[in-house]
Amino acid sequence: MTSSPIITNRRLPSSPSQTLNRQKVVTFTFDGKEYSAYEGDTIASALAAASVTTFSRSFKYHRRRGLLCAAGNCPNCLVQVADEPNVRSCTAPVQPGMAVRSQNAWPSLDTDVMSLTQLVDRFLPVGFYYKAFMRPRALWPLYERILRRAAGLGEVVPDSKPGYFDKVYKHADVAVIGGGPAGLKAAMAAANASAHVLLMDTEPALGGHLRYATHDIGGHPAYEYAANLIEQVSNHPGIEVMTGTTAIGRYDHNWIGAQTENRLVKLRAQSLVVSTGAYEIPALFENNDLPGIMLASGVRRLLHLWGVVPGQRAVVVSANPRGLQTALDLLKSGIQVAAVAELRSAPEIPLVEQLKAAGVNVIANASIVKANGGGRVENVTLKSGSQIQEIACDLLVLSSGYMPASELLFQSGAKLTWDETLNEFTPSSLPEKVFAAGETAGTHTLSDIELEGELAGLQAALSAGFGDDTVRARIGALVEKVHEQRAKRAPWTIGDLPEVAGKKDFVCFCEDVTRKDVKQSIDEGYDSMELLKRYSTISMGPCQGKMCNMTAMRVCAHYNQQTIAETGTTTSRPPIKTVTMGALGGRLMTPVRVTPMHDWHLAHGAKMMNSGVWKRPEHYGDPTAEVRAVREGVALIDISTLGKLHLHGPDAPVLLERLYVNRWRKLGIGRVRYGVMLNNEGVVMDDGVAACLSDDFYYITATSSGATAVYEWIESYLQSGWMLNVHLLDATELRAAMNLTGPFAREVLAKVTEGVDLSSTAFPYMHARQATIAGVPALLLRVGFTGELGYEIHVPSGFGLQVWEALMEAGKAHNIKPFGVEAQRVLRLEKGHIIVGQDTDGMSNPLEAGLEGLVKLDKDDFIGKTSLVFAHEHGIENRLVGFEMPDGTLPEEGNQIVQPGKGPIGLEIIGRVTSVRRSPTLNKVIGLCWLPDGMNNPGQEFTIRVRGELKTGRVVILPFYDPENARLNA
Amino acid sequence: MILLPCPNCGARNVSEFRFGGEVTKQPAPDQTTPASWARYLYMRKNVLGVQREWWYHNACGSWFIAERHTKTQEIQSTYFYSPEK
Repeated sequence: MTSSPIITNRRLPSSPSQTLNRQKVVTFTFDGKEYSAYEGDTIASALAAASVTTFSRSFKYHRRRGLLCAAGNCPNCLVQVADEPNVRSCTAPVQPGMAVRSQNAWPSLDTDVMSLTQLVDRFLPVGFYYKAFMRPRALWPLYERILRRAAGLGEVVPDSKPGYFDKVYKHADVAVIGGGPAGLKAAMAAANASAHVLLMDTEPALGGHLRYATHDIGGHPAYEYAANLIEQVSNHPGIEVMTGTTAIGRYDHNWIGAQTENRLVKLRAQSLVVSTGAYEIPALFENNDLPGIMLASGVRRLLHLWGVVPGQRAVVVSANPRGLQTALDLLKSGIQVAAVAELRSAPEIPLVEQLKAAGVNVIANASIVKANGGGRVENVTLKSGSQIQEIACDLLVLSSGYMPASELLFQSGAKLTWDETLNEFTPSSLPEKVFAAGETAGTHTLSDIELEGELAGLQAALSAGFGDDTVRARIGALVEKVHEQRAKRAPWTIGDLPEVAGKKDFVCFCEDVTRKDVKQSIDEGYDSMELLKRYSTISMGPCQGKMCNMTAMRVCAHYNQQTIAETGTTTSRPPIKTVTMGALGGRLMTPVRVTPMHDWHLAHGAKMMNSGVWKRPEHYGDPTAEVRAVREGVALIDISTLGKLHLHGPDAPVLLERLYVNRWRKLGIGRVRYGVMLNNEGVVMDDGVAACLSDDFYYITATSSGATAVYEWIESYLQSGWMLNVHLLDATELRAAMNLTGPFAREVLAKVTEGVDLSSTAFPYMHARQATIAGVPALLLRVGFTGELGYEIHVPSGFGLQVWEALMEAGKAHNIKPFGVEAQRVLRLEKGHIIVGQDTDGMSNPLEAGLEGLVKLDKDDFIGKTSLVFAHEHGIENRLVGFEMPDGTLPEEGNQIVQPGKGPIGLEIIGRVTSVRRSPTLNKVIGLCWLPDGMNNPGQEFTIRVRGELKTGRVVILPFYDPENARLNA
Repeated sequence: MILLPCPNCGARNVSEFRFGGEVTKQPAPDQTTPASWARYLYMRKNVLGVQREWWYHNACGSWFIAERHTKTQEIQSTYFYSPEK
């Protein structure tokens, strides 16, 4: 082929059905050669116009494959476009300068050495790679590499540029999926009944099969008739049209996923009309995959949408009026029709007469035996009665059957039943608010399709709450009419298989599975559709069963000597068509919460970390210096992420008694107490402090990560029958909070505080006071997570930064430092405080977690008490204890504590490290770990497996630092 | 994605809700045994059919009961807890 052949004689004159703009010529490359196209061409139509016949090499045997469906369904025209693999060239519009490459062929599409595999096909039966490449196992990585190269599709380009993808949310009273005649009528009917309708179609324009049909409807060509319908729909204010939008799945309550370019559409519809039409499917015969063999719908698409002549001399195989119509279309386009092989005994007489008048040889009662040819089809062997004839052709057109596109119906939970007359699966019962119309329901005649469309549209509108008595009456009349017409339906699909299997008669084009392969799978015991599918990989390739499912069922039924109804079909799961991964991922929409002091932290060099959905400073450069500042000077940490709950009401003390394991009734006003909450299983759920601010107002803190769950959990009790007079408010975001801590905390606080005596006698440890700090009303809690004198300062969020900055200013003289989560982890560990969820897990009860001193089992009921009583009776099995590392090794959190035993390396696991740090204050490695009960005595040594080596740890009494609490009480 | 009618807010996507498990009845603590308490905590009926279950609506903070068919996803009714029901 010479370079750059401008439009060849394969183009037909302009016609209104065509999508081309012949004023605009663009160029692109295919495997390095330059081609031209008109604006409006797809890659495949432009290549076909330039006489390209081989588009790809098949998956296993590397046979040549040409255009088959030209509708984006079959696997034959997949190409690589720049970094995008597996692009369906028959539906992808040509873009100027596009670099298109063939896939799965080496060294080139024309001479693919791997095509030699078909000469040794007897050694490559179905499932051969399960059998041949399994031993020795060690070689599988090598086999895998070779197989992947030999049988693959497009190439994933790892360094391809990220694209922009997003999501679209849509709502409709009635969603109509499929914009052919049934969908157009359904949309009109529903919208006329005042429903808001969303009409979706995967093609770039509405009209369905009428877009590429030219036969006469009421004095107009079909595409003109459709254009009129489309105009009405497009101008209807109640109808929103989304073309180029592919529905990929239907989920519960009519939640529909679709893709349109770089957007994932999420649509919620009250009611759904499925009018997705039918897939035309290939017939089964020897060499049915040769280039030049096309589905009739594909031929009509080439002729009427892109004005491309797909061959010079055609043979048409027909089992329905559309086959005869396609033969007439070919004649009109100047293509010789060598023969029409009519598979039926009684084809439509007027169409046959027209063909005969044009001199076409119409062979009745025909069957197709085989196609022959090298690079493409050269002749076809037909049989009629006892007569066998060979007819030369370069185009073999198949119009022998349909499979309804019923994926959305399957996913809706519809029941599909085999129709013996139609040779198709049709919906026999539909769930509420789901309707099917047209070819999806097995109806192929236009007037009937339109009736069904109108009916489905009205029913959908009515079920969505639209429509009056007129609508009901019309539905009644239509139901009757549709019922009548359905009884008269004739089959458009052949139901017979050739008498014998061939050698290269492909059931599945995607995976190169022949009829013989199916037989062999069944002989090996994979005899149901679901097993057959998994073993032979039929229907698991790029077409996902659209081309092969029907034929596979026929073959399976045949060899099982069953009916197709008995054989049954496989179901269909989303996605129905390929979806771009980017569209599924879309734009990240993860919520992020920041505190009022967030920008200050960033401006002061904080390294931020994720803490649940919050952003928190991990440190400001040197966590060890931050620890030292707390121990020796004064420092400030942002703890706005703490859960903060307001408990209002006279029953607040009763609620506290039930929520916490410890006693609350005697907590006086102005007092603070640490508490632990359990879940119903007696497992530690959260901890925090509660401050009594008045008889009926308590202020509770919860952990940053537990805040939301604690709120929901308390509400679950308040709303399910506790009948307490108490109101709970989640004040987490209403208040900013910070902890000013260190030996000089009092001095610094005093500089900005009014209205409270800060002295230790007036405001002792574990007390709460209201005060004014930096002019802001604040709640002060004197608590000590860090082990030093400390004040938690809770202020309205809007003043968080103001108070923070005032404290930092006031602390200058004492060289105040901000500190982050890492320093706080070290400080609390030195003090032996646990972190719920890190040092405890879903099995940890407070008796084991070192909190037994808090638990009051003699209290009236509290949540988790029953479980805890049983656990107590059962006995303690493990204990959370403090430990140090005498040799200074730093284990990792999660390291296992082991002892000699029957594990795979002679060790068994008896515990684990949950927290560990090198303490700058004590200058040694300290941590918390779980050990079996009995091993928790101070001085007890045990073995930790650290990075594969066994190291010794030693149990130490908690806390590690300031056991007398002298510093806290200072 | 099912639609769940919150008794407070009306039908909303289920992603706005948290599932709270089957509605169960807690045995009286002073009369239960470890075995019956464990059954209450861990064993679920997991019916094929209509199930009474707790839901929490994140948006409005309501806990309510839904009667949902576990196969068809039909929501027969949703209502707030009342001691009578």
